[in-house]
Amino acid sequence: MVGEHRMKKYIINYFIAAIVLFAASCKPEIETLAGKTAGQANFSKYIAVGNSLTSGFADGGLYLEGQKAAYPNLVAAKMATVGGGSFTSPFFTDAQANGSGYLTLSALVNGTPTLSNVTTNLAYRDATHLAKYSGEIQNLGVPGMRVDLAFAAPYGAANPYLERLLTDGQVGTVSYFQYIQGRNHTFFSLWLGNNDALGYATNGGVTTDATNVLTDKSTFALLYTNLVSVLTAGGQKGIVATIPDVTAIPYFNTVTVAALLNAAKAINPAAAAIYIQTGNGSVRVATSEDLIRLPFQSSGLFGVPDANKLPYGLHPLNPIANNWVLDKDEVIKVKDYVDSYNSTIKSLATSKGLAIADTYAYLNQIKTGLVIQGISINSSFISGGAFSLDGVHLTPRGNAVIGNVFIDAINSKYGSTIPAIDVTQYRGVKFPN
Amino acid sequence: MKKILLSLFISAPLWVLGQGFQVNLQGQKQIGMAGAGSALALDEASVFFNPGAVSFLEKNSISAGVNPLLFKSAFQQKGSNITENVQNKIAPPFEFYAVWGPKSNKWKLGLGVYTPFGGLVDWGETWSGRYSLTSLNLKAIYFQPTLSVKITDQIGIGAGFVYNYGDVNLQKALPVNFPDGRSGKATLEGTGSGYGWNAGLYIKTLSNITFALVHKSKVITKLDGGTATFDVPNSLRSSFPAGNTFTAQLPLPATTTLGIGIPLSKKTLLAFDASLVQWHIYQNLSFDYATNTSALADTKSARNYRDGSSFKLGINHQATDKLALRAGVGYALSPVEDGYVTPEAPDADRYILSAGAGYSFTSKFEVNASMFFEDVKSRTQKNIESGLDGTFKTLVYAPGISLTYKW
Repeated sequence: MVGEHRMKKYIINYFIAAIVLFAASCKPEIETLAGKTAGQANFSKYIAVGNSLTSGFADGGLYLEGQKAAYPNLVAAKMATVGGGSFTSPFFTDAQANGSGYLTLSALVNGTPTLSNVTTNLAYRDATHLAKYSGEIQNLGVPGMRVDLAFAAPYGAANPYLERLLTDGQVGTVSYFQYIQGRNHTFFSLWLGNNDALGYATNGGVTTDATNVLTDKSTFALLYTNLVSVLTAGGQKGIVATIPDVTAIPYFNTVTVAALLNAAKAINPAAAAIYIQTGNGSVRVATSEDLIRLPFQSSGLFGVPDANKLPYGLHPLNPIANNWVLDKDEVIKVKDYVDSYNSTIKSLATSKGLAIADTYAYLNQIKTGLVIQGISINSSFISGGAFSLDGVHLTPRGNAVIGNVFIDAINSKYGSTIPAIDVTQYRGVKFPN
Repeated sequence: MKKILLSLFISAPLWVLGQGFQVNLQGQKQIGMAGAGSALALDEASVFFNPGAVSFLEKNSISAGVNPLLFKSAFQQKGSNITENVQNKIAPPFEFYAVWGPKSNKWKLGLGVYTPFGGLVDWGETWSGRYSLTSLNLKAIYFQPTLSVKITDQIGIGAGFVYNYGDVNLQKALPVNFPDGRSGKATLEGTGSGYGWNAGLYIKTLSNITFALVHKSKVITKLDGGTATFDVPNSLRSSFPAGNTFTAQLPLPATTTLGIGIPLSKKTLLAFDASLVQWHIYQNLSFDYATNTSALADTKSARNYRDGSSFKLGINHQATDKLALRAGVGYALSPVEDGYVTPEAPDADRYILSAGAGYSFTSKFEVNASMFFEDVKSRTQKNIESGLDGTFKTLVYAPGISLTYKW
């Protein structure tokens, strides 16, 4: 019996050894082409030119977490496997990680969000100016930047995000167009022009200053061509991106006329219509084609009676003001401009042999809803996952998704195999615990 | 050493996937022959392989075996250069059989306890498919009392009643984020039971070529009162109420097997099994929650399995009086169609290779060992429901051992 016991022990030992051996070796292998070649492109020095989307602006502010998740940074990290070099960004310091400050979701009661401002660890050096950043920068995204204002040197003094990147001598004298030049880049991305239409749209179709004017179509074409020309002056390859339809973002799709009417009816069943003041000054009943700006939700205006006891937005004599509404005609106008800008961008890219990230088409798909690697993504405010709390800019998850649109376009144009970004590693909106 | 083995089992009492969820490890001799053997009256494992052959066994016997199994699956997201692997966890499919009957009588009683279905995959909490699944631990343990009767010297029939004890634990990440950025998590856990039967016909021709026809019925395993735990930010708690329960059912498919056994010589037996696994009953995986909310509807995920099949060829060679050597090859067709491959069962057509040996220390005591290997083909597809898009590749290793006492 002793011998038998020993034999059993040997056999068991043998099998344990065999299992350990197999655990350590014989992993299943999966072949891939990703990360193998840069194709015809050279990613050794990539620069990203653009606006808030390029900078990583999110939740109504520019802050470190958003900067790190900006799509150019995600793309650059993946380029590293196909000859990409380091990629530098004007990050806020850890001590000033909250940058300009931003919105957080502080409560969600019965689906109604409460947004709060983060006011600690900000990066202001005085009331209106952010801490300066000096040093090499490859993420050149500047929140608020427009194609027209890229050529206006005084804008460098007015825009705190550009001002923080300029030396004192450059402020007010160097335009963004000049600022992005001379950087010896080998590859570039250019996603600019959104604000040339969006500035007007997010002000309800009301122009009060240079940041909310609709850029003239031919001016846009001329200036955009100049931008592309300097970026390709050394024969560099690159990618340009189209401008999304402004109606594809939660900023214009959350506070709907129907939602307002339902809210009004819940209080007063007799409420029959929402009244708006249109761009031409007339007052009429709102329809589903009129888009109301997201901040109206928290403006505290709706339904409040005026001196004549007429409730705001519910009576023709006290309509929702023009600046809160992108009315049907203004929507058509903005769409027409965006279409024109996009045809400029596409035809220029085609003639210059550049890749095109068609974010216009892709964000329209997100508006319908996509399921990506087990995650439902759509353009619903908060729950959609792609858009941050300002309803315009992307969450880290949205940046990852858009980053893949860029990567796919670059790969298909230049025969490169930049690996895809793993969207699942990036968050959507943070919910309060 | 024994302690380590024990702790492995205790820390990971988990099962593994076969075709779909089928585990083809039910008898050490047959495993060595790639799982063929329904037409051979080899040993007490005939309780599972063919109850009709049990009455042809010469001796009464009892045996127990285990097949520590490594299911090594890998995933690569479309366009990615990163391959992600399941965590190394050892699942122990086991089998226990007893066969008894008065000598020189025409009938025998049998009992089998075995694990014909199961799944163990643990992809970890951070892998790129975690919103589809982080881990699944599914066990089905069949208890099968059996009666087998030798109708003539050529024909045996047998049938057993099957009771299934099922146990499932499914975990996945939820794409909602806490303030610190981490994801939510859902855990569905429950036990259930089901019933079925296993019947077989064994025919021994005058030329000693043997035939088998075996049908194992489907077993619908119902889970009632399973717990559904959702780890979500408190602001979403009303959408994912605490203390929720669910009911679900997992249909385990019927299998029909045609087998043939050919004695090549006095010492060498060839066995061939062809099986049709009627997976078409697995159309949906449904979870019916006791409390529904606007964010938590009952789910009905299409699986749309088709029938699977397998072909297995094995050889048993009695090298000496005491030593038997075995080998086998097989091929199995997956029941999972394109668009429905999930990380819970990253299935594809597969090759089977096996080897085994048996040693009789005395006329009563016997040890059998086997090595079972499956190469599941690489499969690239995008899941229709989840959008999980990429390539799966799986290798399965299962060394096994059993002890038998005969009288």
